[in-house]
Amino acid sequence: MFHEFEERFTPDRRILAQSGMSCHTSSLNTPEDKEQAQQIQHEDLLNLVLKVLRSWNDPLLHMVSEVQDIPQAPDTILWKTVEIEEQAKQLLEGMERIVGRIHPGDLENEVYSPWPGPPAAAPGDENSRLFAFYNLVHCLRRDAHKIDNYLKVLKCRLIHDGNC
Amino acid sequence: MLQKVVCILIVPICIRVTALSAQSPPGQPTVTHCRSYEKETFNCWWKPGPDGGLPTNYTLVYWTEKNNKRIECPDYHTSGPYSCSFSKAHFSMWILYSVIVNASNALGWNASYEYKFDMLDIVQPFPPRNLSLSYEAVETSMPYLIVKWNTPEKADVKTGWMTLVYQVRLREEKQQIWEEHIVEQQTKLKIFSLTPGKTYAVQVRCNADKGKWSEWSEEEYFQIPEVTKKQDLTLWIS
Repeated sequence: MFHEFEERFTPDRRILAQSGMSCHTSSLNTPEDKEQAQQIQHEDLLNLVLKVLRSWNDPLLHMVSEVQDIPQAPDTILWKTVEIEEQAKQLLEGMERIVGRIHPGDLENEVYSPWPGPPAAAPGDENSRLFAFYNLVHCLRRDAHKIDNYLKVLKCRLIHDGNC
Repeated sequence: MLQKVVCILIVPICIRVTALSAQSPPGQPTVTHCRSYEKETFNCWWKPGPDGGLPTNYTLVYWTEKNNKRIECPDYHTSGPYSCSFSKAHFSMWILYSVIVNASNALGWNASYEYKFDMLDIVQPFPPRNLSLSYEAVETSMPYLIVKWNTPEKADVKTGWMTLVYQVRLREEKQQIWEEHIVEQQTKLKIFSLTPGKTYAVQVRCNADKGKWSEWSEEEYFQIPEVTKKQDLTLWIS
């Protein structure tokens, strides 16, 4: 979806090169390389995945409504956004069940990184709206990749005893 | 005599003057690409611009979205000329990096455009190793070609840090059209229904976590044996 959006709306990747992209989840202190991912306790890594997922609840809902207002958004971007929102919800439910078994009753107290909401844009300023959406897609892709990587590390560690 | 002296004196001066006037600050270098083979380190390469006729010195600096401080390339040697190798200490997986190469000589300097990338986009493993082909023809099943390979150099798939998927392609030796197969994580594939007597060329490549596909491995060839034994068509009715 990210690449599709890029191809369609940001030829030459100029936006990426010019902009100061920032992600609302960047305040979460997550492992950034293999050593860090290996050293962290599996409970902590599971909790981190949960935090990142919860931080995406609101922005994903926003994206689903926002994508419908983007002029000329191809259908694939539209239905992929809806699908991702749906799948993230399912993944969150599954993660809550797993973490709930490890720390029963602890779930509600988990802090996550709240999304500050879409940046205020002048009415009719389609470009900044498009950019805000692009920024979200970029962050979503990054966090999806991160979660995928952490879960694979956890799977190999817990199920295959470090020998996948 | 005088003419000769003048010639001898003037010619070298002329050459010297021409050479001097051709000298200039270096042209603009271009960062061509960056690549991480294993999601633990990465390298960047650049193309020098015109050198301005003088010895040129190149320096590469980088910074990230988290740390705006310019840091100089830690290793100019490991990945060949006009390159920089970044060790584990300089590697972060989910961060935007920016890279600039500066060229300088005695007359001035020139800087490349900023090359900005997400680490996710530059992950491209080495090709899989030790591709091997063998043929299994037992009476109890259809005969098939077994394609086997090993994970690429440096890829750590055991800890789950890297998850590889593979693509195997084969073609009849004299044909140009490839038939492609996707293989998830396993390092072997059985291919059925090949034509006896024909020689096939096979290659494999890999992809780590939706990054870029590696180059294709070397081609391996295999000739499918002719059917030698007639199948026993006797039907026993009891």
